[in-house]
Amino acid sequence: MPTPLRSRGFIAAALLPALIVFILFAIVPILWSVYYGFFQWKGMGQPKFIGFGNYSAMLQDPVFWRALKNNLILVVSAIAGQIPIALVGALLLTANGWFNRLIRSALFMPMVLSTVVIGMIWGYIYNSQFGLLNEALSLLGLESWTRAWLSDPKINMYAVSIPINWSNIGPYLIIFIAALQNISSEIHDAAAIDGASGWRKLRSVTLPMVWSTVVVTLVLCIAGSLKAFDHVIVMTGGGPAKSTELLATYMYNNTFAVYRYGYGSAVSTMIIVISLLLIALNLLVTRRKNG
Amino acid sequence: MKATAAPIRPEAVGKPRAGSAAGRFAVKLALLLYAAGTLYPLYWLFISALKTNDEFFAHPYALPQKWVLSNLSRAWELGHMGRAMVNSVVVSVLAVALTLLLGTMAAYVLSRFRFPLSRAATGLFVLGMLIPIHSTLVPLFIVMNKVGMLDTYASLILPYTAFELPIAIFVTIAYLASIPREIEEAALIDGCGWWGIFFRMILPLCKPALATVAILAFLRFWNDFAFALVFINSQALKTLPLSLALFSDGFGTDYSLTMGAMAIAVLPTIAAYLVFQEQIMKGMTAGAVKG
Repeated sequence: MPTPLRSRGFIAAALLPALIVFILFAIVPILWSVYYGFFQWKGMGQPKFIGFGNYSAMLQDPVFWRALKNNLILVVSAIAGQIPIALVGALLLTANGWFNRLIRSALFMPMVLSTVVIGMIWGYIYNSQFGLLNEALSLLGLESWTRAWLSDPKINMYAVSIPINWSNIGPYLIIFIAALQNISSEIHDAAAIDGASGWRKLRSVTLPMVWSTVVVTLVLCIAGSLKAFDHVIVMTGGGPAKSTELLATYMYNNTFAVYRYGYGSAVSTMIIVISLLLIALNLLVTRRKNG
Repeated sequence: MKATAAPIRPEAVGKPRAGSAAGRFAVKLALLLYAAGTLYPLYWLFISALKTNDEFFAHPYALPQKWVLSNLSRAWELGHMGRAMVNSVVVSVLAVALTLLLGTMAAYVLSRFRFPLSRAATGLFVLGMLIPIHSTLVPLFIVMNKVGMLDTYASLILPYTAFELPIAIFVTIAYLASIPREIEEAALIDGCGWWGIFFRMILPLCKPALATVAILAFLRFWNDFAFALVFINSQALKTLPLSLALFSDGFGTDYSLTMGAMAIAVLPTIAAYLVFQEQIMKGMTAGAVKG
């Protein structure tokens, strides 16, 4: 039987490699970004300490606010689009027949595709010269509806949000199906005995039963929407004229296009702060609604 | 009483019982249309990849009149996709192997041993799932630049592993909870050391969990764009998503060529999805809930 000492050796040797890789490449970078966020630095030469200078510059930059607003547009579109569609889909697809399985697989499919490919395909769909969307509208006699979907600053952020929503519905659908299948048959029996069916049952029995799951998906939507980067870099690069800039692309463009490393680090730190704030806010609001 | 009042069988749960046959048909039709709409961009990608450029512009919706494979072969050669494919395979496979090894060892320790820092370590990994990945791009770039790690396979493999470890660890811990400890205790009494138990018993027993972790990790690494975009500059090390994104710049107007390149890039993931879809759907959903 191994002595406690040998166990201790095993614990250290088996846990430390994972812990070290994780801390070095996931946790420590956050500390670095906080640190470099206090400097003005072009990537070469001596970084110059400027305190909260980067942060005050950020708060005065209209592009930062535009990026934040665009991120919030994505959050709202995810909450208004992905969750209801996934919930309705789940209500219709709860039973485990072959037909439902097939539909579920199809709806989940975009999740496994490369975000670059999704961005490029939708870039072509939206293309103002040969894009499928404008072509389809013309075919239907709706020429007046055709748009420069990705370059018109009034609509391009909404256009960008559609592929992101389209590709992310799958997991929410599966989460809701699992939650619906977990409602025990006694509850359905009880509802039937009480004469509840159709809308009434949906409103008073089914939806309250899956409400905690909805809260989870709200948090996921917020976290997911703040992660958006690939699709936008590929479709618009944040342009034209920064109209589709997101926090992540704002950070990327400031760091790697104009080499403001210190500023980019400050934006990175801000992204972490904002996402934690939003998640906390969401938990607070939904908890109050629940209680 | 209960027996007579049980017309609702578990498998009927969630079906619109009150709906007429026509209503049910309409629902199925709507679901089918929605699924077809979800898959359409993908279908369009493949038919466009097999068309000439002229046809692509003239008949964007139609099936190819002349099926051509030359887009695929030209994309393969002109885009150096063979090289990119090798890079993607090397990076993804090594990162998956590292994730599995480090993740399982850590999961085993965290699930079987109680020691002073076990809760802190678990908490740290939970925290890791809340970190928006993109916020680490800039600091990782700065630090890797300092230590000369940019433009190496390791610059992708180590961050990939770090960000996949939390999910790998929690999926494996959940699975280990279902394995009775008596087997390990018996092995201990037989004089097997912890390493022997881990490699000869735990790893083989964990195969189903490892398979799920491996598939999810592979898809994520294979599709990653952000890290590759920032950390890889050398043409010889570009992964598939990176070489695709450059395709759209380099061969701007040769759309069917670009479509060919995209078709090549998504085929492996679609094949993986068709084979492992149950695992992928469950795993990604579990990962999403925890992440």
